[in-house]
Amino acid sequence: MKRRKFDAAALPAKSARAVDDRFQVATPLRKLLNKVFPDHWSFLLGEIALFSFVVLLLTGVFLTFFFEPAMTEVIYNGSYAPLRGTPMSAAYASSLDISFDVRGGLIMRQMHHWSALLFMAAIVVHMLRVFFTGAFRKPRETNWIIGSLLFWVGFLAGFTGYSLPDDGLSGTGLRIASAIILSIPVIGSWVSSSIFGGEFPGTIIISRFFIAHVLLIPGLLVALISVHLGLVFKQKHTQWPGPGRTNSNVVGERMFPRYALKQGGFFMVVFGVIALMGGLFQINPIWLFGPYEAWVVSAASQPDWYVMFLDGSTRLMPGWEISIPIGDGYVIPPLFWPTVVLPGILVGLSTMYPFLEARRLKDYKHHNLLQRPRDVPARTAVGAMAVTFYIVLTLSGANDVIADKFQISLNAMTWAGRIGLLILPPIAYYVTYRLCLGLQQHDREVLAHGVETGIIKRLPDGRFVEVHQPLTSADGHDGHPPALDYVGWVVPKKMNRLGALGPAIRGFFYPIEKPAEAPVSPGHPPVEARPEREEIGSGESRR
Amino acid sequence: MSTHTEHQAQQGPEPLDVNDPRLSRFDVVQEGARRDDIEIVHYEPQVAPGSKAERRLTRTVALMFLLTGAFATAFLVVYIWWPWQWEPGAGGDKLYTPLLGVTLGLALLGVGFGILTWGKKLLPKEVSIQDRHDQVDNPEDRKITGETMLYLADEMGVRRRPLLGISLLAGLAPVGAVAAAPLIGGLIEQPHKNNQMFTTGFHPAEGGRKIRLIREDGRPIRPADVSVGGQLTVFPGIDGGVSNLHADSPTLLIHLREDDAQKSRAANERKGHGDYMWGNYVAYSKICTHAGCPASLYEQQTNRLLCPCHQSQFLITDNAKPIFGPANRPLPQLPIEVDEEGFFVAKSDYTETIGPDFWERP
Amino acid sequence: MTSDNDRRRGLLARLRGRPVARSRGRRRLGAAVRLFAALMLAGGAYTVFAPGVQAQDNPPLTAAGNEGKALFDVSCVTCHGRNAQGIEGRGPSLIGVGSASVEFQVGSGRMPMARQEAQAMRKPPVFTDEQVRQLGQYIQELGGGPQVPGGDLREGANLSTGGELFRINCSQCHAFGGGGGALSSGKYAPSLAPASDRQIYAAMLSGPQNMPVFGDNQITPEEKADIIAYIQETLKHDGDPGGFNLGRYGPSTEGLAIFLVGIVALVFASLWIAGKS
Repeated sequence: MKRRKFDAAALPAKSARAVDDRFQVATPLRKLLNKVFPDHWSFLLGEIALFSFVVLLLTGVFLTFFFEPAMTEVIYNGSYAPLRGTPMSAAYASSLDISFDVRGGLIMRQMHHWSALLFMAAIVVHMLRVFFTGAFRKPRETNWIIGSLLFWVGFLAGFTGYSLPDDGLSGTGLRIASAIILSIPVIGSWVSSSIFGGEFPGTIIISRFFIAHVLLIPGLLVALISVHLGLVFKQKHTQWPGPGRTNSNVVGERMFPRYALKQGGFFMVVFGVIALMGGLFQINPIWLFGPYEAWVVSAASQPDWYVMFLDGSTRLMPGWEISIPIGDGYVIPPLFWPTVVLPGILVGLSTMYPFLEARRLKDYKHHNLLQRPRDVPARTAVGAMAVTFYIVLTLSGANDVIADKFQISLNAMTWAGRIGLLILPPIAYYVTYRLCLGLQQHDREVLAHGVETGIIKRLPDGRFVEVHQPLTSADGHDGHPPALDYVGWVVPKKMNRLGALGPAIRGFFYPIEKPAEAPVSPGHPPVEARPEREEIGSGESRR
Repeated sequence: MSTHTEHQAQQGPEPLDVNDPRLSRFDVVQEGARRDDIEIVHYEPQVAPGSKAERRLTRTVALMFLLTGAFATAFLVVYIWWPWQWEPGAGGDKLYTPLLGVTLGLALLGVGFGILTWGKKLLPKEVSIQDRHDQVDNPEDRKITGETMLYLADEMGVRRRPLLGISLLAGLAPVGAVAAAPLIGGLIEQPHKNNQMFTTGFHPAEGGRKIRLIREDGRPIRPADVSVGGQLTVFPGIDGGVSNLHADSPTLLIHLREDDAQKSRAANERKGHGDYMWGNYVAYSKICTHAGCPASLYEQQTNRLLCPCHQSQFLITDNAKPIFGPANRPLPQLPIEVDEEGFFVAKSDYTETIGPDFWERP
Repeated sequence: MTSDNDRRRGLLARLRGRPVARSRGRRRLGAAVRLFAALMLAGGAYTVFAPGVQAQDNPPLTAAGNEGKALFDVSCVTCHGRNAQGIEGRGPSLIGVGSASVEFQVGSGRMPMARQEAQAMRKPPVFTDEQVRQLGQYIQELGGGPQVPGGDLREGANLSTGGELFRINCSQCHAFGGGGGALSSGKYAPSLAPASDRQIYAAMLSGPQNMPVFGDNQITPEEKADIIAYIQETLKHDGDPGGFNLGRYGPSTEGLAIFLVGIVALVFASLWIAGKS
């Protein structure tokens, strides 16, 4: 029998053909590969969250191999001498074992915790980008809502994870969580005893939190993230205005090869930064906290940073109780307002914002071009107000640490937070609004009169004027350059920025390089735009 | 302004024959992009093949990949041979995790920046423009789909036969409840079983025997065991008294100075708690009435008790009344006395509800 | 008698304690220094010229006690009054506080105070160990009180008992890591980092300022040894296995770190990635 020669080079093509014969994937795959993504650094912020989520999954799976989600009492007998002989829950003992008796377990734990903090931080930063640039507008309201939900689901994931080791600090957090649940009117005590399986702390909460933390919440996160990304893919990414960029196109790079390569590299960078932080910065040293005991507490008991704003609101709330004198009497504790009502309002306001704004502006059009924050002063100012509110609350969540380390009276810090929470947001609104208007005006001035050169000229009549470099050639009426229209993108404000908006040759470390000779390789002939593309008006005038 | 419209994009130039042997691979790719409404308007190699710049960049990327290999190997070496077991002191084992982090981090950064440099510097720069098509795809399709859905409803005849719809809803509602029932039914717990929210471990045992105050190691407490101006965390002397089973029972026993004790006694009397103190000793619940943290930062000169979680401050000499912060209710006081053997006992259980507030607290 | 040298050192310590402003601040300072010098002179002259007055009121002092009394009359009498009886509104009576209290307050530089404030701060001590011992002896002989025992204060200590006792009695104010924490209205629990064995022991015995008293009746000397060992060995001597400890301030500095290090580094990375090449 004749042996056919095996041709390795033909293998990929052959197997690809075989696959396409069966599944007919060539056309959908071509459409998938041919996808243009706009390039801007701020579009990578969401990716940080996505990649840290991947790291969370990887490290989290490792941790589950060693963690024992049980509250049965054991006597610790591991490597860490200062706790040997101490009675503690199995959950805490196994967390100690991960830290001290599993080789490399501590760095996994620390990477898991750091990536959780990074996940939440990146979500917030990404959300700010989306908000301030108006990327949430129609048709992307759904994705905005999913994004806000991701923050809250991530919040739950973080809190349940923070509680699992059952150490002194997390137990205190759990105690406060139970008090928050208790404070809900009418059903509070029922909900609390149902969750904790009786009176706090009970013996089941860790195993319940465990299944929520490793299955239910990550499942929800994966689902939400998938939909989030799917919608970005379907609706295509927003882009900044600029030369050639319109509301109905995307200008950027095709996904393959360059864009995807950059994404892969960025994932490695995020992973690397998390690994560095996990190794170099100690986080949550549970061995110092001891096991959770209801009578043990530490000064400076704080939750992780993304929960701190709720801790802050709780600290600032005055002790106002509402008593309802019916029957034996009923109460709504002061804890209810800052921990249940406030987050409720925040969820509602943040998810509904796109619709509120559209309604206010009566703007129901599709928007694929981003807005510079200065061009929408009202929204930017509202955002600044919200950010100020959040920052005051978060700082108040750490007000005892601040008071201690900067030697300020604790009571003064509380009062400063109370007053600051009321007056700083409106101030932030006003200041931001004025700043936006000022920046807008400056843009318009530069467009009309040109860039300030710093050259002072004395006129024949003795006056001094500064020479402006007009942005266009002086071919308008009576020798003056024509005024340019503002098109929503950066206006050069300094002489050395002139011409920097186009594809200039600039590097990160070497500011100006010799322009590379653009050699034309035979395989890559210079491409020409289709005729109908050539007339690109919107950006051209500013160059 | 752009003269381009949706319509023109679809007509475009004539589609290329991709089987034309004269076409380069790039031509085919470009044609494919065009079919997906992508116009590659700018495609320019950043470095000339064989140029000095290309060789330099190639070397840089290769170096990064090799560094990754080196650091990954270093990671393995550290992982296997570095002493990692915890030892007292500040020895080499404390460097284990930092070393793992640095080697792993640098390995990942190496491969990351290698790939990034490859993509950013070596691949051709391009600017492509893709049409969005996020307007209504095809009004006719919309109409057809809409009509199809309505046709479905028509055929089922829900309008004509309302009974079917109503009975279906009526039938499905309990099915929904069936799905929820095991979850709710399994989880739900009566919060007031054994009156647990209103009693603590200090509740007198069977036969009215008073419960002793004990320390964390189980020893009962004599008055002489607490220093003047001192505080002691005490627990009910029952089974599991010093455990999280009785998370609401930890109590702070304070031995006040003479003048502070007088103030405290006067305040007690005003509140009708005249006999709650024993000598100069007071006992207040350690569980904050705000959020349940142990409020235990006792300032022995000002007699304030601070809770570290939300900074509520209670004045011990005035029935532990909240004087600052978010708490609104005084800490409950435990009435104490000394039994015939000379140990502290609780006269009765707390007369107020312990811990954070809830709706039905009387 | 106090030598000139000692007096100058005391002055310097006082001056170091306050922010030195130029011009007006300095003039005020000058006035304070002159007043202080005058007071010292007066006090010194008084002790020189009227040595026999107290000797009649009190039992005779030992040699060390006499030395301590001399130091007291120069540096402490302004606030604590003659024979350490205390002066209303300025300084409490020291009768019965014992040498433990002196050892803690003077040995850690908290006394003499730089100025009246919410709480005395730890400063470089004004007196030498020997002088502190003499002062302590004087106060001890005046009215008795708790004393720090000699010898090794951590002998036979058990770390895990110490840890348990630390968490139940100390961590609420000094924090799990021993870094200290805020108390009400500007008061604070200090960091335990600079505290010596004897100072920790003395603080527990005497309950300085707002710290509750943990007498030997309440926490036995053996338990004190456990606590001291836990603080000194586990909290202070043992290295952090997880890398730099961020000051052990808990989640607040961790949150700061994720933004200042993590987010900043990655934003720079994205600027580079998306930047024009």
